[in-house]
Amino acid sequence: MKQRYKEVLLALSLVLLSGCGQPVPNMGNDSSNINNADTISIDEERYNGSNGSNGLDGNSGMYNSSADGFQSLYFDFDSYSITPDMERVIAKDAAVAQKSGDRKIKIEGNCDEFGTDEYNYALGLKRAKAVKDMLAMQGVPSSRMVMVSYGESNPACTVQSDACYAQNRRVDLRLAR
Amino acid sequence: MRYLLLVMITINLFAVDATLTIEKDVEQRTRIALEEGSEVYHPSLFELFRSDLKVSGHFLTDANAYTGSYEGGVVDPAQKAQEYVLKYRFDESRGAKLSVRLLKAGDGKEVFRKSYAIPRSSKMPFLVHKAVSDLNDLLKYPSIAWINRYVIYAKYTTPKHSEIVLADYTFSYKKTIIRGGLNLFPVWADSKQRSFYYTSYRGLVPTLYRLNIYTGQKQKIASSEGMMVCSDVSRNGKKILVTMAPSGQPDIYEIDLGSGDKRRITHFNGIDVGGRYIDDENRIVFVSNRLGYPNIFKKGIGRSAVSQVVYHGRNNNACDAFNDKIIYASRESSSVFGHNTFNLYLTSTQSTQTRPLTTTGSNQFPRFSANGAVVLFIKQHAEGSSVGYINLQSKQSLLFPIDGEKIQSIDW
Repeated sequence: MKQRYKEVLLALSLVLLSGCGQPVPNMGNDSSNINNADTISIDEERYNGSNGSNGLDGNSGMYNSSADGFQSLYFDFDSYSITPDMERVIAKDAAVAQKSGDRKIKIEGNCDEFGTDEYNYALGLKRAKAVKDMLAMQGVPSSRMVMVSYGESNPACTVQSDACYAQNRRVDLRLAR
Repeated sequence: MRYLLLVMITINLFAVDATLTIEKDVEQRTRIALEEGSEVYHPSLFELFRSDLKVSGHFLTDANAYTGSYEGGVVDPAQKAQEYVLKYRFDESRGAKLSVRLLKAGDGKEVFRKSYAIPRSSKMPFLVHKAVSDLNDLLKYPSIAWINRYVIYAKYTTPKHSEIVLADYTFSYKKTIIRGGLNLFPVWADSKQRSFYYTSYRGLVPTLYRLNIYTGQKQKIASSEGMMVCSDVSRNGKKILVTMAPSGQPDIYEIDLGSGDKRRITHFNGIDVGGRYIDDENRIVFVSNRLGYPNIFKKGIGRSAVSQVVYHGRNNNACDAFNDKIIYASRESSSVFGHNTFNLYLTSTQSTQTRPLTTTGSNQFPRFSANGAVVLFIKQHAEGSSVGYINLQSKQSLLFPIDGEKIQSIDW
């Protein structure tokens, strides 16, 4: 009888003690607002986009961040117009394109850092489109060319100077991989 | 040290930005003291509480960080000049747990008590935000639930590489959710912030995906040669505005996510980007260079007429909208290169009046909060970069340092 009494007392004590800890109140419908669930984390480092040579061209001494024999084209601030100076480079790029069989050519538009998000990407695209149209006029089939704008995400130069900004307002060409 | 720097930078910037110093009637705000009752004092907690209370525009916080007993109703005589004392206690022995009590400073009577818990202590800032948000609601002030939301942003790391990061609004909590490759333009897909849209450059052409941040489920939405950016999401989440260029021409399209139909909204041989729904989502504002320089325009969806919204500045190249309110960034540098001066302005589709929100430094990426009451922006200045918030009603603003990160795009 005494043993039974002790067991009942122990059980009662446990019940009472379990109520002594300060409970975390139920936050009801607000719990989603506290962002308590774990979120994911993804690593895409397998991406192997080539940055090209990003340096001086060994033959001409001109700065060139294109690859596969192509030469980059450089634009004025906030401009996507093709100047007469560019036409000679485009003719050379067209010749390189003709020699590269049926492989697709990637035309990459780039900008300096003096724009904001979407507008800069559209500006890079307009530059790529201007070069694509000129190459098409030189006989390169449009179906072989694909454009991508990298906006200000792919600077060839990161020094804060006018000369450096000019290197970033460009279109690079390379064979698609 | 970081929080000391935060306070110093904040005070300094308030001093130089005249438009941000207009104070709401001080008497309308609740005076409150903060007292920590934890076993160990946490300076970061005090700063988080203080910034939350300040940015609400509804409280005047005692600058002293008091410590004392969490329980009981004894009020320090130094706190008697306040209306309330907020006592709090933090415990991270198992996850993170924050307990708060609100006492009337006059008689020590408890008017509010609540505890908040979260499994990961790194998410502690969200506990403070939730507690202050609840406190604000208790005193029947207009909602500041936006402080509980995630901020999502893309930042450049190296050429053609970026990361997409989740943060709380103060950037005290940060977690990289996509690293490696080039992934840009994150935009929340739903009001509950369970999924977001972003542009991946992993393939030959830019591709828009929707990613669930809890399950990792990824869905391809669309791709386009040249560029592919989600600019805005309709309130019900069923339609999105994108800038894409299927024929090499950047224009704004609306995608019906149910049917997959794409409707071209702008038709211009230059640059049209950054579409944002306005009014009842039957019109948009957007950035266009149709006058020879970037500026803000509006047009009805399905209609041909385009009208100019902003008659100020010569380089207005980013905007955001909430109902009829429009905020835009205007580049105001005197030279083409050199110092970048961008300022933010508030205008409306119903008026041509413009109100400056910033006057110094480089202020970009303006984004309205979900209720349109607060504007987030990124400020660059000589000391570094900060994420800033402007409460449009109270004129209160806050800046938080972001350690020199080069932000590409941001949403919250």
